[in-house]
Amino acid sequence: MKMERVFTSKLKPFLDAVAGQMDLYVHKKSGQHYVFSAYDPSAATEVEFNNIRACTPVKEFLFPLCELAAVFPEPLEPEDIKPFAVFGLKDCDLRSIEVLDKVFLEDEFKDPFYVARREKMFIISSDCFEPGESCFCNILDGQPYAESGFDLNVSQVKDGYIIEAGSQKGKDFLEKHPELFTDTPEGALAERDKIRAETKKKLEQQNAELKFDTPIRDVMTATQDTDIYDEEAKTCVECQACTRVCPTCHCFYLYDTKQKDYFSKMKMWDSCMRMSYAQVAGGENPRRILGDRLKHRLMHKLAYFVDRYGINMCVGCGRCVDAEAGAIDIRNVLKKLNEQLKGKKEAKVAK
Amino acid sequence: MNRNLYQPINGQITDIIDESPTIKTFVIKPENNFKFETGQFVELTLPGEGEAPFTPSSSPTVTEQMDITIMKTGRVTGLLHECQKGQKVGVRGPYGNGYPVDNFAGRDVYIVGGGVGLAPIRSLFLTLVDRIKDFKSVVCRYGAKTPDDFIYKNTLFGPWQKIDGVDIKLTVDKANGQTSASSVEPWKDNVGVVTTILDPNDVNIKNAVAVVCGPPIMMKFATMKLLEFGFTPKDIYLSMEKNMSCGFGKCGHCMIGKYYVCKDGPVFTYEQLKDYPNIWA
Repeated sequence: MKMERVFTSKLKPFLDAVAGQMDLYVHKKSGQHYVFSAYDPSAATEVEFNNIRACTPVKEFLFPLCELAAVFPEPLEPEDIKPFAVFGLKDCDLRSIEVLDKVFLEDEFKDPFYVARREKMFIISSDCFEPGESCFCNILDGQPYAESGFDLNVSQVKDGYIIEAGSQKGKDFLEKHPELFTDTPEGALAERDKIRAETKKKLEQQNAELKFDTPIRDVMTATQDTDIYDEEAKTCVECQACTRVCPTCHCFYLYDTKQKDYFSKMKMWDSCMRMSYAQVAGGENPRRILGDRLKHRLMHKLAYFVDRYGINMCVGCGRCVDAEAGAIDIRNVLKKLNEQLKGKKEAKVAK
Repeated sequence: MNRNLYQPINGQITDIIDESPTIKTFVIKPENNFKFETGQFVELTLPGEGEAPFTPSSSPTVTEQMDITIMKTGRVTGLLHECQKGQKVGVRGPYGNGYPVDNFAGRDVYIVGGGVGLAPIRSLFLTLVDRIKDFKSVVCRYGAKTPDDFIYKNTLFGPWQKIDGVDIKLTVDKANGQTSASSVEPWKDNVGVVTTILDPNDVNIKNAVAVVCGPPIMMKFATMKLLEFGFTPKDIYLSMEKNMSCGFGKCGHCMIGKYYVCKDGPVFTYEQLKDYPNIWA
């Protein structure tokens, strides 16, 4: 049997085998959303196959909310990171890791804590089959199934699960456990492709109104002087939830603390929506106005990051839409910007 | 583990010089020799209290210690001002790009500075003076609020003005009847903001570069004036002050458009920044 693509009718033995080698996290339903939860091999029931991404971001595993960054005068002994796996990640999650990799694995300045966790992470992704209301990955080069960026990918079909290896680590795992798998039954692959195409179509229908004739990056830069951001920001209550749940937001704040016999430097998530985020010591603040902060956040994601790293910093997961306390919906903002640009162009032609 | 980017080098404050009522220069001796290029900055940690970015004001040829001139303006700088000799500190860096001094060779260097903005400029000035023959001229126009607010008074009012190839003019916003610190004479130089002592004939604009460093409002008006004189945006070098925290283009606090001031700057040409919003605030 070729171990690059295998089949299993039950998930539990497969996940038990993963959990036998490393810490395993799975998706668990909490209310109407999924959250990450430690896998419990003693549970008798089959683990749930999540149809959609979790509402919390996968960045938590690589870039924790708060961590110790340095201790002095005597330097820090590095924390021993144990290997861990996360099951059920979606294509948008994998692309958010790609974004974080660009930032934290940058050649000259590798973040040692991110590197340590990233090296120990085993990624098991799975296909989406029922996109959420806020999902719009198809607008931002995404799709409801992963084709790269995973160690293993799981696709659910009627009689079981197709598991594919996407890395040497993944292949090694499958080869180590031939007893768990069989050959992929005839027709299963065609069935998977049909499900994938149908899900993709659902997404496209759902986001049919979001159509851009101009690349989004150019829409953003061409409408920089707009007052749309100020208008949109009127309902923002500055709770910063959008930046917390965003899987690609990676701003952090360094602060110093005094312990009994040493000093430490801590690294904690920050938010560019925070009023004093960019303020300097003399009190000058380039983005005192909330609309300017919203503009910077979206420009960073869809223009500045693209200019710098060549990919979008928004993966279209819709988490910020779900977490929104006011009425800002990134899809509406994009739609309005696009309409304004079209209007500008038409006015130019009319002249 | 990879080198920990967040780990400061231990150091100590070995001397403190009062420059003005709100500005002090701290001489800092790191445990190991510390190399930087003029215009690069460091993150200085007051252990247990906080960290802030400063551009050393000393010459980069000195590696066993560095001068950091600090204005009391926020929490960390306020605490630093209360420190005594012997205080332990941490230093990370150097970060950023520094001034492209080699590109200035054969040209007039037109330096416009204000207030504590003279700190990074002092390091640049010492670097230029070290090889003064490489430049057509070094023309400096400095402003301060009052005569007392000038920093580096002992050298600024005397020896620096006598260096061959250097032309320095000073101005104050208000003379207040005060005297220049180096003499008992009343203030005889110009009164007015720094743009009032800029003259298109100060340098040969076609073959000059301008370097601007000071408070944001001064940088804005000085840049506008230089453009009016005919400087092209790519020949105006700005030393940007933003909230640089990590120092290596990740934490996001110092972003201007696609640039991280800490990594791509702090020295930018006006050409690089002119199309982004809110660059002066």
